[in-house]
Amino acid sequence: MTMTTQTSLNTARIPERTGRSIDWAKVGTYAILILIAILYVGPLLMLFITSFKTLGEFFRAPISLPTSFSFDNYIEAWDKANFPRYLVNSVIYTVVATTIFVLTSIFVAFPIARGYFRGAKVILTLYVIALFLPPALIPQFQLILNLGLYNSRLGYIMLFLINPIAIIILVNYIKTVPKELDESAAMDGCGYFRFVLQIVLPLIRPAVATVIVLHAIGIWNELILPTIYLSNSNLYPVTRGLIVFEGVYGSNWPALAAAVIILMIPMLILFLFLQRYIIAGLTEGSVKG
Amino acid sequence: MQQKYLFGRGWSVFVPILLLLPGFILYLMIALGPSIATSVYSFTDATGIRGAPVNWVGLENYEEFLLRGVASRDNIDALKRTLIFCFFVTTIQFTVGLFVALLLNQRIRGRMFFRTLFFVPVILGVAIQGLIWKLFLLPSGGPVAQFLSLFGVQSEFLGGQPSEAFAWVIVVQIWANMGITMVIFLAGLQTIPNELYEAGRIDGAGRWDLFRHVTWPMLTPSVNTNIVLNIIGSLQAWQLFLVLIGYRPGTQVLGYLVFAQGFGQTSGAVTSAFRQGFAAAASIVLFFLVLIIGLAAQYFVNRREQKLYV
Repeated sequence: MTMTTQTSLNTARIPERTGRSIDWAKVGTYAILILIAILYVGPLLMLFITSFKTLGEFFRAPISLPTSFSFDNYIEAWDKANFPRYLVNSVIYTVVATTIFVLTSIFVAFPIARGYFRGAKVILTLYVIALFLPPALIPQFQLILNLGLYNSRLGYIMLFLINPIAIIILVNYIKTVPKELDESAAMDGCGYFRFVLQIVLPLIRPAVATVIVLHAIGIWNELILPTIYLSNSNLYPVTRGLIVFEGVYGSNWPALAAAVIILMIPMLILFLFLQRYIIAGLTEGSVKG
Repeated sequence: MQQKYLFGRGWSVFVPILLLLPGFILYLMIALGPSIATSVYSFTDATGIRGAPVNWVGLENYEEFLLRGVASRDNIDALKRTLIFCFFVTTIQFTVGLFVALLLNQRIRGRMFFRTLFFVPVILGVAIQGLIWKLFLLPSGGPVAQFLSLFGVQSEFLGGQPSEAFAWVIVVQIWANMGITMVIFLAGLQTIPNELYEAGRIDGAGRWDLFRHVTWPMLTPSVNTNIVLNIIGSLQAWQLFLVLIGYRPGTQVLGYLVFAQGFGQTSGAVTSAFRQGFAAAASIVLFFLVLIIGLAAQYFVNRREQKLYV
């Protein structure tokens, strides 16, 4: 540190890597990453191995490899756990609620971002403060109960038609769309409704994709709300169904493991394709502060 | 500020408001209204039964929650446990997340693989996260049990002493959410210009110097985001308790208490189903906890930021 910049420029170089010397920093990096990775792969591997074992094998030696390879547990889980019905329910809740939410929220976010009516700022503030208010759990339940929508698809879907963070993501993104576009579209006689759906929507696709993915994952994975609002097992989504299955099959880990994997695979595949949008949604705003 | 509306005159200026209303009314009805009404309910003896009379009871719920000596002990314990949970989850998840992000910010083979692997639990949701770890922590011959038995340690894990079960929930909570902390740090690290590191190296700075004087200050926005997110998130987190150990005396945190009192999902000694007024009071207590600690954290990180930029 005592060298002046001038001399160090001439003498000090970043050491060249040679074939012979071992880069201990890199070895250390890998060692630590692999240690942590074991904590992530281990539980998944255990699940996978267990799902192919017979119950007897599992009780004799829980962590040994299965002796034969069969899908019996998967078939059993699929048949006994009512999964086809739960999956249909989850798909209905996720698709319907996400579609309605995204369509309504674009029309909330656009005029707020543009300031096209008096009080746009106030409304945006109402969305921002929601992040800091007390949980709505109890009065929300009273509301749904008194509307007579307890234990119904409609009542359950209604709970997912809101998402203040998504509105904030959309507003921020719409602000990057140049306002000249509005002017030229209006000049060409394009109406407001058509303008938002046909011109703005395609331009804000990345933000919409992020919002869709975040919102849909939230609905798909929700466990508490179905526990509170749905008592009819014909209406259960997969998360609740899985916990019910656990209650019945608690000690039959091979079947339970197969059930978990059945529900996990679609999420993993979707994740590999949509990773970009999920991460964009989570890191939104965090870098700029 | 109001902008000039371009898409027509006269009555048509109300079109944007008309189209905004469906989304906004839903928001008022399902989120904002109920959220504010929570404080009103906290002064009543509301139940979860439709048509049952609701009476005003003043501060009774709060008094019962906090001030009734032995009877309030479970609540006060849950409150303390919430803070303990928050402390361990925040500090460990922050440190591990930062460390992993730093390792993965290097040019190494398999970066994408590790990043994806560490992020996977985030998208699985609590039901799957919890079941995976219940199996992994199987007391009779499970992987963790076998590993620990090499050192002569025996344990019931989630079924063991309340404090041990509690500690394992902390582990699973961190396992499940570390990926979020990591990606936020990675996003922050990618904004630091490489020239700063080169200049530092030319001046002879070592790894630690570079971290201390380049990475850490430049990472301020992500550090702040992660501190606030982790604190608020862990104060409100309780779903893994439900999946991993259920409502067990000596383990509950405030969020679980609200759920158990309000919706009757209890078992064990502290059962009282469908006391929604009391649950609302408990959730207001939790809200103030989040507010105070959240604001303190915000104040602390803002001051850090000012110190750095002034």
